[in-house]
Amino acid sequence: MKRLLQKIPDSLLRVGSVFIVFITVVLLIRSLIPASLKNSEEHRNATVEREVAHPVKHAGSEVCADCHEQYELKKTGYHKNLACETCHGAAQAHSEDQEIKPVLNRKREACTLCHLFNPSRPTGFPQINPVVHNPGKQCITCHNPHDPKPPRVPKDCQACHEQIERTKAVSPHVQLDCTTCHTVNEQHKITPRVVKANIPNDRTFCGKCHANDSKIKETPKVDLSTHGEKYLCWECHYPHMPEVN
Amino acid sequence: MNPANEHLYEMLRQVSGYIYPNEVEFHWSILIVVYPYLTGLVAGAFILASLVKVFKVKQLQPVYRLSMLTALSFMIIAPLPLQMHLGHWERSYEIFLTPNFTSAMAMFGFVYAWYLMVVLLLEIWFTYRRDLIRWTDTDKPVMRFVHRALALFSKDTSEEGEKFDMKAVKFITIIGIPSAFLLHGYVGFIFGSIKANPWWSSVLIPIVFLFSAIVSGIAMVMLLYMVVTPLRGQKIEMVCVDKMASFLFVAVVIDFSLEMLDFIHRLYESEESIKILSDLVMNKLFISLGIVQVLLGMIVPLALILFIKLFRVDEELRKLFYFLGAILIQIGIFATRWNVVMGGQMFSKSFRGLTVYKMDITGIEGLLMTLILLLMPFAILWVLIKVLPPWDASPSPSLH
Ligand code: HEC
Ligand code: HEC
Ligand code: HEC
Ligand code: HEC
Ligand code: HEC
Ligand code: HEC
Ligand code: HEC
Ligand code: HEC
Repeated sequence: MKRLLQKIPDSLLRVGSVFIVFITVVLLIRSLIPASLKNSEEHRNATVEREVAHPVKHAGSEVCADCHEQYELKKTGYHKNLACETCHGAAQAHSEDQEIKPVLNRKREACTLCHLFNPSRPTGFPQINPVVHNPGKQCITCHNPHDPKPPRVPKDCQACHEQIERTKAVSPHVQLDCTTCHTVNEQHKITPRVVKANIPNDRTFCGKCHANDSKIKETPKVDLSTHGEKYLCWECHYPHMPEVN
Repeated sequence: MNPANEHLYEMLRQVSGYIYPNEVEFHWSILIVVYPYLTGLVAGAFILASLVKVFKVKQLQPVYRLSMLTALSFMIIAPLPLQMHLGHWERSYEIFLTPNFTSAMAMFGFVYAWYLMVVLLLEIWFTYRRDLIRWTDTDKPVMRFVHRALALFSKDTSEEGEKFDMKAVKFITIIGIPSAFLLHGYVGFIFGSIKANPWWSSVLIPIVFLFSAIVSGIAMVMLLYMVVTPLRGQKIEMVCVDKMASFLFVAVVIDFSLEMLDFIHRLYESEESIKILSDLVMNKLFISLGIVQVLLGMIVPLALILFIKLFRVDEELRKLFYFLGAILIQIGIFATRWNVVMGGQMFSKSFRGLTVYKMDITGIEGLLMTLILLLMPFAILWVLIKVLPPWDASPSPSLH
């Protein structure tokens, strides 16, 4: 044994011992680390436990119903899909102890977070430009946050479809009223989602003004039977900004 | 509404197009730019050193030890940005103790331990052992103890012992080269294997990382050598610097071609992400990629070195050009890392929108911390040079 040791060069022996000590120390420290950090299965279990152990912060909207009439009010309004805590912040603590007050943000920014005009929002989502939409006043002076609706019935379509109105205003169709092409019940301006406006449904509709045999004079004419084949006209021409090419 | 989110709304205003909610803010900050930059320097400096030992490039002998020490000092700091980024610095060291093969990121502990312990420290130890013993004769008491302890109290100055050291160094360098490739290839792999991100997902990325690592490492050692030597009152050996510049030239050319290949490949493939990526390159990354990385970081240094090669230039001008080139390369490579890490987070996976990175100044992931992290390796190097002077070597038998 001793002979064998002597054969190993001195330097290797020294380095080797350092390595052995080092590896032992690492293994020792490692054994102190909880298994949940080393084994992926235990890690996952521990994650579940850890998450479950977090204190509950949100109470959900149903809880508020016990004490606040706003719940019933909101249920039928436009904001029916918003949770109370979206605007008032986490309120579990408040529902247990009413001394703790939830957030009450009355600023315009609280509303423009969702209602600021942004082209990526879906069509029909109520959006406003805060610079021109009654600037300087809190939104809640005119709209009830728990049952928001326009305080009066808007006269024209522009109030809600501003983008389309603006587009049409610079298009060849500028002279056409919205109602030339859309039949709109007055109720649409009050509950637009319940009573919808009507959209033309076939080619002959545009043909009224653009077919070769149309009586209307000043419009460009096409042969309905060949032009655009079987497709709807608005699969190629945007009706609010019909462009050629 | 919630004041804690105000910062998010501020960010939202700078988003263009459509972007998913979790993409507005960057998850990987500037620290994650620093990390591949530092590891790249380690790998590059080591490969420069191995040119001396394995490929017997004698001209580079004067920088052999300097580059080993450079690699070591950058290696010591390299994991710090990761650890700071983890958020819990008090238990971040656990990434070393709980490595795992389940994911590329979790393998970090293995890669780091292997490279630091088995490659860098061992090679440096075997290189210095005999000198450490020799220095104890003339050392002052404190230093004598340090040197003794560093030599692991070895007193063996025999011929066989020394031969064994040399063999060991050579052997370690030979495993060290693939390890250095592995180290930085690994960092590239982490990015390259992220399938969901078209800016990163490319098999070329590990190789591009590797060559940019070599470029940055050589340039860094060149800079250090050109700064440290005059400070010591010595003359810069131009043969050595010229040789380094030649290797640098080749490495930059390869790096450049690889990146162009990647670029052309992407353009030709024209996958569905190409639109947003060109938007990214033309708008968000134009300065950092087009100007800093490619023009200043590659083309100008190449031109400088080429100029020296083509025309007989006197020594002073050569030094100036090399120095300028090496600095530009450092900036360029830092920009490369920036473009990879930040670029990959600037566009939405919807391919329809872009966001911006807002760097903090203070804070654990801010600019100040970054600067500190970038300067720390130099402080360590300074200490290392004091303790293990790279120029006081006994003539090494392996080169004769
Ligand atoms: C157990 C009854 C109870 C429940 C449950 C409850 N609240 Fe209240 N809440 C109160 C009372 C009482 C007040 C009035 C305190 C006062 O005026 O000083 C109040 C006040 C508020 C206020 C006004 C705070 C202010 O600064 O004026 C808000 C907002 C509010 N609650 C939201 C909620 C929400 C959201 C929930 C559901 C997550 C909820 N509350 C659940 C009893 C309740
Ligand atoms: C769109 C955001 C929004 C949602 C959703 C919302 N609130 Fe409010 N809430 C407000 C605002 C804004 C005020 C302040 C109104 C004011 O000062 O006139 C307020 C005020 C209150 C008040 C205090 C009333 C007062 O006059 O002081 C209570 C209580 C309250 N909300 C409860 C609820 C509950 C319960 C729900 C869920 C059923 C809810 N809120 C959902 C925005 C919201
Ligand atoms: C978290 C997002 C969110 C916030 C914050 C929010 N709203 Fe709404 N709002 C909605 C949604 C969703 C609708 C329903 C749109 C729909 O029916 O498609 C809506 C509808 C409305 C409408 C009805 C528009 C119409 O078509 O007549 C008004 C008015 C309104 N909100 C005002 C407000 C005011 C005032 C505030 C600030 C107190 C506010 N909203 C805050 C999401 C929000
Ligand atoms: C109070 C706001 C409001 C006013 C005023 C309004 N609309 Fe609408 N309109 C809406 C909303 C909201 C929708 C989206 C409904 C949906 O998709 O559920 C809509 C949808 C439509 C649609 C598409 C229907 C569909 O099936 O996709 C048409 C067409 C339309 N409106 C026409 C008009 C015209 C024409 C006027 C003016 C006479 C008008 N609207 C006035 C809010 C309004
Ligand atoms: C002075 C009263 C007033 C104030 C203040 C006010 N609004 Fe309105 N809002 C209206 C009226 C009136 C309408 C009906 C449309 C019209 O005539 O412009 C309306 C319509 C809306 C609509 C429906 C638009 C659509 O496309 O369906 C939204 C959303 C809205 N307001 C949000 C806000 C928000 C958010 C604020 C605060 C930034 C605000 N309003 C402030 C009076 C007001
Ligand atoms: C030339 C006829 C025509 C006129 C004028 C017209 N529309 Fe339309 N509109 C259409 C047709 C056709 C569609 C269906 C388009 C589709 O389904 O792609 C439509 C779709 C819509 C829609 C739902 C789809 C969308 O693009 O948002 C709305 C809302 C709408 N119109 C509002 C208006 C309003 C408001 C005006 C007046 C400012 C107006 N339209 C004027 C023909 C017209
Ligand atoms: C009430 C009559 C009327 C109806 C209905 C109508 N248009 Fe028009 N259209 C016009 C008029 C008027 C012009 C403008 C002619 C001009 O400026 O020279 C026009 C122009 C056009 C143009 C040519 C634009 C150009 O740049 O030359 C196209 C395309 C067009 N309309 C498509 C449609 C489509 C598609 C529909 C069906 C959704 C439609 N129109 C329905 C009256 C109508
Ligand atoms: C397949 C796509 C397509 C469809 C569907 C289509 N168009 Fe067109 N339309 C075009 C193109 C392309 C042009 C311009 C080239 C041309 O003049 O043929 C055009 C031109 C026109 C013009 C202008 C002609 C002129 O002389 O300036 C009118 C008016 C028109 N279309 C109306 C319609 C009407 C009405 C319908 C539905 C019956 C319709 N289009 C359906 C593609 C289409």
